[in-house]
Amino acid sequence: MITIGLRDARAHFGRFIMSIIAIALGVSFVVGSFCFREMMNNQVDQMMASNSDADVYVRGNKEQKDSAASNFGDSSDSNSSSSSDSASTESQHYNRIDIALVDAINGVKGVAMAEAVYEVNGLVLVGKDDNAVSTTGGMTVGMGLTKGTWRSATLTQGRWAKARDEITLHTFAAESAGLKVGDTTKIVYPDGPADVHVVGIFSTVSSQAGAIIIGLNPDTAKEYFQQQSGQVGTARYLTVYGSAAGGQPLTVTQQQALADGINAALPSDAHAVAVTGQSVRDDNAASTKKALGFVQPLILIFAIIALFVGSFIITNTFSMIVRESMRGYALLRSIGASPIQVFVTVAAQAILLGLVGSGIGIGLGWIMVRGIVVLMDRLGTPLTGAVNPSISDMLVGLIVGVLVTFIGAALPARRAAIAPPIQAMNETVNPEKPVWPRGIAGTVMIFLGSAAWFLCWRIAWADNSGVTVSPWSWFNDGIKTLGTGWPLGIGAGLVVIGVIVLAPALVNSTSAVLGWIPSHVFTVTGRLATRNLSRSKRRTANTAAALFVGVAIVSCLGVVASSAKASVAGIVDSGLKSDFSAMSVSSGQIPDDAIAAIKKTQGVGTVSQSRMLMGVTYGSGDDATAAMTFAEQPSLFTKVFAPVTNSGDANKALRNGELVVGLQVAKDNGWKVGDTVKVNGRQVVVDEEATAKAQADYQAQVKAKVEGLTAEAQRLLASGDISGAQAKSAEAQQAAESAKNVDPSTLVKTKTKTTHVSMKIGAIIENSIYRSMVLINDDAAEKIANQYTMFTIMLFINAKHGTDLNGLKARLIKAVKPYYVVNVQDRDEFKSTMSSMVDQILLVLYALLALSIVIAIFGIVNTLALSVSERTKEIGLLRAIGTSRAQVRGMLGVEAAIIAVFGTILGMIVGIAAGVVIRAVYESNGLSALSIPWNQLGVFLILAILVGLVASVSPASRALKQPVLDAVASE
Amino acid sequence: MARHSKQDIKRGTNTDWNGAQPHDRQGHVVAKAIDLTKIYGDADNRVVALNHVNVEFERGQMTAIMGPSGSGKSTLMHCMAGLDQPTNGQVIVEGLEVSAMNQRQLTKLRREQIGFIFQSFNLVPTLSAEENILLPLQIAKKPIDRAWFKQIVKVVGLEQRLTHRPSQLSGGQQQRVACARAMMARPSVIFADEPTGNLDSHSSHEVLGFLKRSVHEYGQSIVMVTHDPRAASYADRVLVLADGNITQDLKHPTYDQILEVFADEGEEPSA
Repeated sequence: MITIGLRDARAHFGRFIMSIIAIALGVSFVVGSFCFREMMNNQVDQMMASNSDADVYVRGNKEQKDSAASNFGDSSDSNSSSSSDSASTESQHYNRIDIALVDAINGVKGVAMAEAVYEVNGLVLVGKDDNAVSTTGGMTVGMGLTKGTWRSATLTQGRWAKARDEITLHTFAAESAGLKVGDTTKIVYPDGPADVHVVGIFSTVSSQAGAIIIGLNPDTAKEYFQQQSGQVGTARYLTVYGSAAGGQPLTVTQQQALADGINAALPSDAHAVAVTGQSVRDDNAASTKKALGFVQPLILIFAIIALFVGSFIITNTFSMIVRESMRGYALLRSIGASPIQVFVTVAAQAILLGLVGSGIGIGLGWIMVRGIVVLMDRLGTPLTGAVNPSISDMLVGLIVGVLVTFIGAALPARRAAIAPPIQAMNETVNPEKPVWPRGIAGTVMIFLGSAAWFLCWRIAWADNSGVTVSPWSWFNDGIKTLGTGWPLGIGAGLVVIGVIVLAPALVNSTSAVLGWIPSHVFTVTGRLATRNLSRSKRRTANTAAALFVGVAIVSCLGVVASSAKASVAGIVDSGLKSDFSAMSVSSGQIPDDAIAAIKKTQGVGTVSQSRMLMGVTYGSGDDATAAMTFAEQPSLFTKVFAPVTNSGDANKALRNGELVVGLQVAKDNGWKVGDTVKVNGRQVVVDEEATAKAQADYQAQVKAKVEGLTAEAQRLLASGDISGAQAKSAEAQQAAESAKNVDPSTLVKTKTKTTHVSMKIGAIIENSIYRSMVLINDDAAEKIANQYTMFTIMLFINAKHGTDLNGLKARLIKAVKPYYVVNVQDRDEFKSTMSSMVDQILLVLYALLALSIVIAIFGIVNTLALSVSERTKEIGLLRAIGTSRAQVRGMLGVEAAIIAVFGTILGMIVGIAAGVVIRAVYESNGLSALSIPWNQLGVFLILAILVGLVASVSPASRALKQPVLDAVASE
Repeated sequence: MARHSKQDIKRGTNTDWNGAQPHDRQGHVVAKAIDLTKIYGDADNRVVALNHVNVEFERGQMTAIMGPSGSGKSTLMHCMAGLDQPTNGQVIVEGLEVSAMNQRQLTKLRREQIGFIFQSFNLVPTLSAEENILLPLQIAKKPIDRAWFKQIVKVVGLEQRLTHRPSQLSGGQQQRVACARAMMARPSVIFADEPTGNLDSHSSHEVLGFLKRSVHEYGQSIVMVTHDPRAASYADRVLVLADGNITQDLKHPTYDQILEVFADEGEEPSA
C-alpha cells in the first residue's frame, strides 16, 4: 500500500508544490529562530570570553539598585542619556569598591596583574572624512588600555596610547573610521572634542558586534570615568589575571583557587569580594541573552502562522487529492483493502511530503540566518557567532514539519479510509457540521479575554490614581501582585484564539455584509461569490485566520506606535515653548564650549539649560531612593515648558528653590506637597591633603632624579668622560625643566564629598516627560552638586524677538558643528526624533506583515484551488449557460478578496482593541494620547483586496483551463 | 459497415438538406452540421466518434438523437452546442459558424442562442430555484421578462418551490428547474443531454411532457440525446447513430417503431 502511496505522490507532485513551500517556510522559521538564537548566544559567549577575560574579578559584595528603573516611559523621555546605557547589559549592580585594593591584590600569590579597567561610554570618534563614525551596532566605548590590561586584545600595529592625545584603535574601529597608525583625528569626549593621534591598532578574537572600541591612555580613561560616575577612587570591579597557567587563561579550578586567595587577602572592611571570571562571564552572558531573548518568540510567532497555514494547505491539498482519487480508493476497498491500508496510502504521501518540505525548510532557515549575518555585516555589525544549525535544530525542524504534514493529511486520509466503497464511487457532498458550537466557544473566549484586558486596565488605573481595582479587597491584594503584564498577555491570547474559534460562525453574516458592494456591482458573480464563501465556513475562516493573526499584530503595534508619536507631538505642541532644543547624540552631555558657542550665536535670546545631577538620592540610610534629578533655570516653566500641575504651584516652587516632583516619583515615595525630604548629592572636590602629598611626592621624585643625574654627571666627570658628563647634566637640567612645565592639575587629587540638604516639596507635576524626574533650580542644585557632578543634558533655545528662525537654525547648526555631537532641532524635528525611531520599528513590522501576507496568499490560493476543484461541474455549468471567462475570474476574485478582507478586518479590530488597551495601561508611562493610524489601516484594507485578487489569478486560470465539456458531461 | 455509412447519411438526410437556405435565421433550419468529423486520440489509437456527418435540425421541433454507447451521439450534441471542437467540418447554429468561434463568441452564442439541460441537473447549489432560473439572464445582463418567467414556472409547476435551494428539491423538481432555466432566455435551440437519465419514470414523464409542450406551444427547438426509447418517443424526429454515422432518420416514430429499430440495430452486427 505504501508503494501505491508513493506512486500517487509522484503523480501528484504538482499539487504538492504549494504544500511543500508552506511547510518549508514554516520549518525555516522554526529552524531559523533556533539558529538565530544560538548564533546570538554564541556571539555573546565569544564576546564575553574575549571582553571579560579576566581570571578573577573583584567587585562589591552588596547588591544595589543603582539605576532608576527604566520603564516604557523612557522612550519618550527627551533626554538621551538612557540611550547609551541601553546597549549595555542589564546586570546586577554592586557597591563600588576602592581602587586602592589593587595593591593588596597584587600582593597575593599567583596574581600576575590586578587592575581597574576604566570604560568611558558615549565617546565619538571622528573618522577620516571628518564625520562622526557611527554604526548600527551601537556604542563607542573608550577603555583605558595598556600592555596586559586586556589579555584578549592583541596589539597588531604600533603601541598602546601613553598620553592624553594618543589613542589605540580596535581593528574594526580603524576600518570604519578609515584611520591608520600615524593619523591625526578627533575624539569627542563628554566635555568636548580633542585632537588625538592614532598610535596603534589592536584586534580581538571575537568581533565586537559593531561596537567602536578606542584604547585610551589609562589615566585619561580614569579621569573621564570618574567624571561620568561622579565618584573618585572607586571602580565597579577590578580585573585580575593569574599567573598559574603561564600567561594563558586559568581553568575554572585555578580561578577558584586564585579567588579564594584574594578573598583571604582582602581587608574585611573593603566590602569587596573576589569571584571567578567564569561566573561573571556566565552571569553577564545570561543577562545579555535574556535581553536578546525577545527576538526568538517573535520569529516563532510567524513560524506558527506559517505552520498553521501550512497544515491547512496540506489538509486542502489532500482533500483535493483524496476526492480525485476516491474512485481508486473505492476500488482498492472493493477488492479487499482495509480502511487502515487506504489510510496508509494517503499517510505515506503526507510523510514523504513532510520530509521533503522540512528538508528544504532547514536549508532555507540556515540561508535565512546566513542572510541576516551578511546583512548585519553590511549595516556595520559584524557577527562571528556560528550560524550552522545543530543536529537538534534540524531534528526539531524535521519533526515539526512531518508532524504538521501528518496532522494536515490525517483528516482527508481518514475520509478516504472510512468512506463506504459505493459512496466513494459517487461524488457526494456531505453537509458541513453546524458552526454554532464554535461560535459560542469563541464568544466565551473573547469575553474572557476582554475581561482580562479590562482587569489589566483597572490595575493600571488603580495603580495610577489610587482607586481600588474592585470592590473586593481580597481580590485587590492578590491582583496587585499580578501586575499588568499577565492579564494583558492572557487577554490577548484568549481574544486571538477566541476570534479564530469564532470566525466560522461569522462567515455568513460577514460575507453578506462584505459581499454587499460586489453583489451590487457585479450582480450575479458577486452574489455567487458571496454565497460560495458560506459553503464551507471553516475553510473560509481558517484561510482568513492566517491574515488575521498577522494583521492583528501589526495593527496593534501600529496603534501603539502611532500613539507614542502622537503623545510626543502632543507634548511639543501643548507644552514646549522654546524655539529650538539641543542635545548630545552620544553621551548625553553637552560640552560647555558648545553651550558657550550657542549662547554667542547671533539671534539667540535666552538659553535654558537642563543639567542632570549625578547620583542624587532622597531620604536617609537604607531607605534612600534614587531619582533622576535635574537642575533648571527658574524660568523653565514660563519659557520652556508649560507645567501640567498635579498639586502646588510649579512655577513658584521652582523659583523658591523648592522641589518640583514628577508624579511617578511622588507616588513611588508617597510624597505630598509640603513634605520635607532629605536630598543627598555628591560633589567632587579637591582633596587638599592628597594633592599636597602628591605634589610633594612629585617634587621629591624629580629632585631625586635630578640629584641622581647630577651625581652621575659628577662621577663621569671624575672619570674623565666629559661628553658623557655633559649629556648627563643636560639631562638633569631637562628633567628639572620639564618638572616645572608639568601641568599642576594632573597632580590635583580629588575626592567625592557627599552632601545632605533638606528641601521642601513645592509642587507635583505630571507632564509626561517630567513624570519620573525631580526638578530643582540652579541655586539649590549648587548646594547638592557641583560642576563635576552636574552635566548639561539639554538646551532649550528661545530666539530673540523678530529673528528669522530658519536663519537662526542654520547659524546654530554651524556653531555646534565643531562639537560633532550636538544636535540642534526645531520644534518639528524635536517631534520627529521620536517619530523616526518609531518608524524604524514599524519598518521591521512591515517586513513581518509582508511575510504573513505571502503566507496568506498561499493559503488563499490553495483554498480557492480546492474549491475550484470541488466546483468543477458548477463552473462548467456557468460557462455553458453563458458566463464569460472574465465573469468566472471576477467571481473567484471577489471570493478571494472577501476572504482577505474578512481576515484583515478581524485582525484590525482585535489589533486596534489590543493597541487601545495597551495604550490605556501604559498611559502613565507617556502614552498620553491615543492615535489610531487610520490611513495605514486603510492601506492594509486596500492591500488585502489586492492580495485577494492576486491570489485568485492562478485558481481561476485552472478553473478556466478545464474544458466546459468535461465539467458538464455526465459520466 | 463503415463503408456504407456515407451513403446512409445521404439517404437519410437528402430530403431536407437540399431545400435548406444556408443562412436564413428565420428559416426552418435552426442548426446544422456539415461534413462533421470528430476523431479522438492520436495516430496509434484513433477513435472516430463522428464520421463525416451531415444533419439539419428543424425549428420548432424536438429531435432525439439515439444510439448505443460509443455511437457518437453525445459527441454530435457537444459539437453542435459548441462545447467540443470538431476535427473537421462545420457546425452552424442560426446561421453562425460555431466551429470557428473563439471563446468570446462562444460565450455570446451561449447567452443568446443556446440552452442546456443536463443529465445531472447541474443547478447552482447556493442559489434558490428562482435564482437558478433567472441566472442565464442575469449573467448576460438581460432584462427579465416577468410574465414569461411566471408562465414558465406555471408550466413546470414550481410556483410553490421557487425559494427552495436545489438540495431541498426532488430530482424531478430539480430537472424542471433546469428546464425552466433553459427556456427562460428563449434560446434558439435547447440541447438536452439525457435529461431523464437520472429520473424515475414518473418524473421523466413530467419533464418530457413539459419539453414537448414547450415545443408545441412556444415553438421551442430542442435537440435531445437519449438512449431511452420511451423518451425518444416524445420527439418529432429521431436520429439513430451508430459508430459515428447516422443510420436512421425517423419522423414522428411511435415507441414501438423505435423499439423495432433497435431490434434491427441489435441484429445488424450479428448478420
